[in-house]
Amino acid sequence: MTPAFSPFLPVLLLFLIALGVGAAILVVSGKILPGLLKPDNPQAAKLTPYECGAPPLQQGARHRYSVKFYLVAMLFILFDVEAAFLLPWAVQYKTHLGTFWAMLSFLATLLVGYIYVWGKGALDWER
Amino acid sequence: MVIERIEAQLPGAILERHAFRGDETIIVAGTRFLEVVDLIFGEGYQLLLDVTAVDLEAPDYRFEVVYHWLNLASQARLRIKVPVAEGASQPSLVSRFKSADWAEREVFDLFGIPFEGHPNLTRLLMWEDFPGHPLRKDFPLDGGDLFCSQDIGASFAPEARSLNA
Amino acid sequence: MAAINLDDSVMTTRLDSVVNWARKNSLWPLPFGTACCAIEFMSMMASRYDFSRFGAEALRFSPRQSDMLLVLGTVTNKQAPVLRQIYAQMAEPKWVVAVGVCASSGGMYRTYATLQGIDRVVPVDVYVPGCPPRPETMIYGVMELQKQISRESLSARKEHIERFYQSMARQEELQRAKGLTSYQVVREMVLEAGAAGGQKIW
Repeated sequence: MTPAFSPFLPVLLLFLIALGVGAAILVVSGKILPGLLKPDNPQAAKLTPYECGAPPLQQGARHRYSVKFYLVAMLFILFDVEAAFLLPWAVQYKTHLGTFWAMLSFLATLLVGYIYVWGKGALDWER
Repeated sequence: MVIERIEAQLPGAILERHAFRGDETIIVAGTRFLEVVDLIFGEGYQLLLDVTAVDLEAPDYRFEVVYHWLNLASQARLRIKVPVAEGASQPSLVSRFKSADWAEREVFDLFGIPFEGHPNLTRLLMWEDFPGHPLRKDFPLDGGDLFCSQDIGASFAPEARSLNA
Repeated sequence: MAAINLDDSVMTTRLDSVVNWARKNSLWPLPFGTACCAIEFMSMMASRYDFSRFGAEALRFSPRQSDMLLVLGTVTNKQAPVLRQIYAQMAEPKWVVAVGVCASSGGMYRTYATLQGIDRVVPVDVYVPGCPPRPETMIYGVMELQKQISRESLSARKEHIERFYQSMARQEELQRAKGLTSYQVVREMVLEAGAAGGQKIW
């Protein structure tokens, strides 16, 4: 009886060998070699931030920073997505007033938001 | 000469003066000190070079705070010494001369002489909770560490061996 | 290659010598330069004496990226907890070379302000005497350290490093208990150790 071998069986074999070799590399270099070579001495002092040996000036790097960075990022995302919507529309646009006004109304909605943001002073960096 | 002008305009301010090979020194009473400083500032002595002190352990006053000025225009130097009793304080010159800031902190750190009107009178060279004032004559040179100055106590030498052996 | 000890397995010994060979020939220094010895160190790194021949081209001023702490110059009592913190932050394997007499024993400064030898506060592997030592002397010192490293064994625990971390824990505890700064606590620990007859606080 001759079983019908799938032509993709070698691919599966290759895939399994690749997985095996990868796993072997990870295990040897991640567990076996360090297990033999590493000077295992975890100490809390080794994790403290390096401030030239002096006691830390403030508690960690999570100190307070201005909200303007968050605002800039958020506004960027909004208007970037708007531009992303504009691009495919522009690619397939053929002069047709209906299509034009549809996109213009979309842009007008976002324009209202932009004028609001501008007026509120969120675009002023030095506030 | 500026010292003659001081004597003329502020009589009684100068307690003593001496000179040595071109160095002019005057000893000024603490109460007249600021007037003398303002006068010499007007005379051109506008660069305060140093503020330091000497622990004399003299009978009537313990310390002498020593100031050095330089007249940039005439390149003349002047030394003013002010006798300060133990526990008494000196007026700070920080409002007039920025260079007095750390110099006075150093004197406070090492001698314990407080300066009134100093914006930040904390220790400069030694650490904040160092006990004592090191350049006073009653402070031991080794700071209480007998091994430092005398040949007592064990040294590390007998134990010296390789840590990695 | 290291001598084969019949008590250990042959495999361990060979691994030891390979690892030690790699470690001793790639000692990345952390130049803790405080005074004149640092200038001699600079000339040692320069082209005439060329310390980078010994694998030490990469000068890392961070304890995380270096393995040899070269203390070059006078360490004051105010600087002592700083030196301890930097040594504590270094990742193992790590070695300390006290370069110059100030680092080895306090040098000519027998005063209240100078730490009388860094071996009071951190474990030291090699002392290089001199004021300052010539670059050749410092290179000889590092070569001595290389000889020590080639005698090391991977399985042996480094007792001096453990004792050092215990002394760091003691220092932190004293700081919390007495509410003093690290400078005063280390100073008191050194004075206490001196009064008790030994000098080391680790």
